Amino acid sequence: MTNRTNYRARQHLVGYLFISPWLIGFAAFTLWPFLQSIYLSFTRYNIVSPAKWVGLANYRMLLTQDPLFWHSAWVTIRFALISVPLAIVAGIALALLLNINVKGIAVFRTIFYLPSIVPTVATSVLFIWLLNANIGLINKMLALLGVTGPAWLKTAPWAFYSLILMALWGVGGSMVIYLAGLKDIPVHLYEAATLDGANAVRKMRHITLPMMTPVIFFNLVMGIIGAFQYFTQAYVMTPTGGPEDSTYFYSLYLYNRAWKYLDMGYASAMAWILFLIIILMTGIVFRSQKKWVHYGG
Amino acid sequence: MAVSNSVSKYRRLALWCLALAVTVIVFASGHSTPRKYPERKVVRFWHRWQGDWEKQVQKIVDAFNQSQTEYEVVAVSVPGSGADAKFILGVIGGDPPDLMSMGSGAVPNMAANGFLTPLDTLMTPAEHKAFFDESYPAIRDTGMYRGHCYGITIGADLMALYVNCKQLRDAGFDPDNFPKTMQGVEEMGTKLNQHDKDGHLTRLGFLLTDIAYNSHLFGGGFYVKEDGTLELDTPQNERALETMVNYRKKVGLEEVLRFQAGLNDIEGAASWAFMHGDLSITYDGQWRVEELRKFKPELEYRVYPVPPPKENGTPLGGLVGGNYMIVPVSGKQKQGAWEFLKFWTGLDNPDRAATFYNMGGWLPYSPAVAKSPTFQKWLKENPQFQAFLDILASPNCKPPPPIANLQFLNDLITHAEDQASQGAETPKQALAELEKKFKEERDKRRALGYDE
Repeated sequence: MTNRTNYRARQHLVGYLFISPWLIGFAAFTLWPFLQSIYLSFTRYNIVSPAKWVGLANYRMLLTQDPLFWHSAWVTIRFALISVPLAIVAGIALALLLNINVKGIAVFRTIFYLPSIVPTVATSVLFIWLLNANIGLINKMLALLGVTGPAWLKTAPWAFYSLILMALWGVGGSMVIYLAGLKDIPVHLYEAATLDGANAVRKMRHITLPMMTPVIFFNLVMGIIGAFQYFTQAYVMTPTGGPEDSTYFYSLYLYNRAWKYLDMGYASAMAWILFLIIILMTGIVFRSQKKWVHYGG
Repeated sequence: MAVSNSVSKYRRLALWCLALAVTVIVFASGHSTPRKYPERKVVRFWHRWQGDWEKQVQKIVDAFNQSQTEYEVVAVSVPGSGADAKFILGVIGGDPPDLMSMGSGAVPNMAANGFLTPLDTLMTPAEHKAFFDESYPAIRDTGMYRGHCYGITIGADLMALYVNCKQLRDAGFDPDNFPKTMQGVEEMGTKLNQHDKDGHLTRLGFLLTDIAYNSHLFGGGFYVKEDGTLELDTPQNERALETMVNYRKKVGLEEVLRFQAGLNDIEGAASWAFMHGDLSITYDGQWRVEELRKFKPELEYRVYPVPPPKENGTPLGGLVGGNYMIVPVSGKQKQGAWEFLKFWTGLDNPDRAATFYNMGGWLPYSPAVAKSPTFQKWLKENPQFQAFLDILASPNCKPPPPIANLQFLNDLITHAEDQASQGAETPKQALAELEKKFKEERDKRRALGYDE
């Protein structure tokens, strides 16, 4: 009995030793800063001087005296509300198209997937050129149709919608997951539906979409988290928050507070509010899944 | 079987040793930046110049390294957008550079938060006297915070108007008889605009931006006095913003934005739109003089200080900004950094340093450098630079306010200009909002216990 217990303990130890590099890294570079930031959010802190306890002052000021906090939060929420559903619709539509068995489909799948693996900064620089009002490809194409394109990144609200448009560029990543979901739907469901005389729309409504809901749910959760942390593209393309602060995202404001104004305590409080918002949103989506996600098959 | 096990064990051991050796070599060996003089004390210098500028900086570094035997300056170009964050991380990590060029707007905040060494503590009494007595006041004061010098420039910036002579002559103007008032330049600019068949601008005659700078021509400026008095939403600043916005409206708000967005001058000296004739009269910095000499010597141009408005104007007004050299508080080789800084600025030898200022088309820190034979010789070859020296010598050329939250104020000023230029707010509303936000921020800082 003792031997078996020892053996088990040894086995566990070996297991933990194998994952120890990750565990140590996680504890040192994620867990500790995470916990530390809770404390810092109640302090005035500029990194070089010791943190000074200010109680709830950072939170109070954020919520009652900082219009930019509310503005940047609203920009981010609006972005999430528009870009997440749009990315889901575009991802599913693309996956449906790329699920058709035609010659060279693998090439098309690769083409649509490729943009999602291009580094974000490179994509942002590319879009700065594409969206250039005078010499950008998008306005040139609009001009061919007789439409005068706007000064995308220079005017509100177009700068905001430019970033929404750009978010669709990386839809290939979720498209692959939707495609895998489509492949997972049992063929016999479609065969039965065909025998029952269902047309394509009914099959889509009653088989494809319900069977895809677990994948949609996953992408919805990831999309919400990603949207609330949206930073790099806004920082590269409109570093000052864009025309009329239309692209002043929450994370961009947080970054400026921390690194530009050296208000690390204030920025920590912002980070914790963001974290709570994300937890809340994810919690709501998780609670709602009973009503619309079908784990059938 | 036993032999095979033993061989495999040895092979495994050898593999582990190899992996360990590679790790040690990669992580623990030498410096990533090659050293020419490994026996000397190293002075690590971070700067934000790239492209051709980086080459010029390296030439200055090389000249210093050859001039003495105690120190070796190793220069590293750090991309501007993340340079300050990298500097902060360097300080936290205990591995900051010994010297760094930083945007002037960041200096007071860094100083207030204890990141920087007061440079006056590194000066000998003679150097202290020379620096404080000889510097151009506006340049000197831009690096000051609470009575101490935290930043010394080797590349201060001022702005003026660059004028394309041929385009002016083609439009019937004499480039040597430039208007003496802002209204005169606006009239000239309107006539110089060119449009395509759809009415879109193809050439911009003139446009004034940068309210922080040009408010000084109206007797204004954005200041927070020591007693806490705010000079932000003032009649002078409002008049300046109104003048700029009204002219922009005349040309067309959307049209100007569209034209500017299409200019191919995002990066790189040689792609400046003025060089390609897309701008007839343009507002830009003194470094362009040297760029024009290098990349477009055949272009005939003039430089004039932005003229003041017809009424209640202050001629030769301006605001100093640019690159300021700082020494981190935890820098390991402060004395070496100071020696290099003296060498570059010319505090010890103005004539030698004049060459360095000329290499980048930078503004000298003192009249002593400007009057040195080397600088004067260069000035004769590049007479257009004189306009900037005239502004620099003027009492209307000012430093920014030495306040800890200068970055915040600068962002508010940019935002106010943006709001008014886009037509989202009137100049009056934009400035009122600016002052309101600044007050709110100040109250917030006070409530959090900041002493400023």
